[in-house]
Amino acid sequence: MHEPRRAEATAAGGSNGRNRLAEGGLNLKPSGRRHVADSLESSMPARSVGEASVADPVFSCKDVSVFYGAKQALKSVTLDVARRQVLAAIGPSGCGKSTFLRCLNRMNDTVAGARVTGTITLDGNDIYDRQHDVAQLRARIGMVFQKPNPFPKSIYDNVAYGPRIHKLTRSRADLDELVVTSLTRAGLWDEVKDRLSAPALGLSGGQQQRLCIARTLAVQPEVILMDEPCSALDPIATARIEDLIEELRASYAIVIVTHSMQQAARVSQRTAYFYMGKLIEVGDTHRVFTNPQHRLTEDYITGRFG
Amino acid sequence: MATLEGHIARSFDGDLNALHMRVIEMGGLVLDQVRQAAQAYTAWDPQPAEHVIEREPAVNTYSTKLEAEQLVLIARRQPVASDLKAIVAMSRAVAELERCGDEAKKIARTVLRHGGRPGIATARDARHLGRLAVDLLHLALQAFDRLDGELAAEVIARDRELDEEYGAGLRRLLTRAMEDPRHFEVALDAAFVLKSLERIGDHARNLARHLLAIRPVAEPAGNGEETVTPPPAAGR
Repeated sequence: MHEPRRAEATAAGGSNGRNRLAEGGLNLKPSGRRHVADSLESSMPARSVGEASVADPVFSCKDVSVFYGAKQALKSVTLDVARRQVLAAIGPSGCGKSTFLRCLNRMNDTVAGARVTGTITLDGNDIYDRQHDVAQLRARIGMVFQKPNPFPKSIYDNVAYGPRIHKLTRSRADLDELVVTSLTRAGLWDEVKDRLSAPALGLSGGQQQRLCIARTLAVQPEVILMDEPCSALDPIATARIEDLIEELRASYAIVIVTHSMQQAARVSQRTAYFYMGKLIEVGDTHRVFTNPQHRLTEDYITGRFG
Repeated sequence: MATLEGHIARSFDGDLNALHMRVIEMGGLVLDQVRQAAQAYTAWDPQPAEHVIEREPAVNTYSTKLEAEQLVLIARRQPVASDLKAIVAMSRAVAELERCGDEAKKIARTVLRHGGRPGIATARDARHLGRLAVDLLHLALQAFDRLDGELAAEVIARDRELDEEYGAGLRRLLTRAMEDPRHFEVALDAAFVLKSLERIGDHARNLARHLLAIRPVAEPAGNGEETVTPPPAAGR
């Protein structure tokens, strides 16, 4: 399926080379799309290609499969998440990248009929262990969604909400300080410092998303999961969030699911490509986007199917 | 890996193919420039030499326009992986072709300067070397046209033959020049012509190397589980 569709150039000889090249040149008939579906199963790797494990991972996933009823959404994924690094999960819709993300903070627990097998450890502890307190787990793992979802409260209360319910601060002054730090880290402080009691829903989309990130930071998580955090934002707001992600990775492990391959290339240090529930390839982003090892990865990132 | 087609956005296929075709077109023009320049020198005929000089601006126009088209393609499509490498390889190919055109121009100027007609033996050496250079460039362009890595590897191998012939031709030329120092200027011109032809061979070889960067001969297997041989470094 990868042979170039061109006319064979005529054999070498002594006649005028320019004409020969022109005649034997390119076949410019519009090419049909390649039909990859038939050969996909055969080209799926038995194991993922690339470097799935890292030294001292924050998350370590081994043979993780997810079933929604009879349907298997994630097929035996083994993948580590490194500290102070951005891992981007890319792949076409329904490839399992969001399912993978939702395993990490046990959000799949909330889906009826969902079943998770394999092991996921956070700092060496199995997060699906019965002993594990899910609320505690989710406090350690922040999450930012596609659509900014601030609470219909004031800007201040949005950020203070998490610390209050998790009782992270002892005094009003402590809480104030945490709110300021979180808003500052999220790059929003200068824009909202004079209207902390204004309703959060009055902010622009990009500001709301940064508010959601501030709300996440206020709980002092170890990991931040981002599910398409920029897909509802304009390019400027997107650039701001990407700049923020770059800042945050100095302190947090970040896993970002994105439909934008360019975004994955811009913000991440590692890229994982999922397809049909499988982790096809994972590796350093600079390597994946210049020398993808698997043909499926190559075809996806160059826009040949998806 | 290095097919230019198969994109979901089929207009991208069209853009890449159009760029590829124009590079080959430029190659056809340059090939003819080289052929005519070699012919002008060996037959000491000013007519093809004038033709070469007349068409030299067309080579440069190709080069400028193709560079602009490549920039537009990169800006608009933001290509990655094999697509990006293909565009970079084409950009490098254009640079090699332009330099081939410059060498052809130098040879043509030698004829038009009326410096002195080469002797029979020198003309024979130049004709031989010219034929090798033209063949090599032609083969490299064919490889580029068909995206044929194996043909490119052949070009690289055959450039050594050209280099050896150049060395031998130069030695013979030197011997003759020492025997008859009155024609020293003619011999100097001849040395520059031989050098130009040798350089054209080198550019053909580089062209083949740029192709190998996007079309490695040992193709990675479809399942990607075998070790992928990195493409050889392009360039010198």
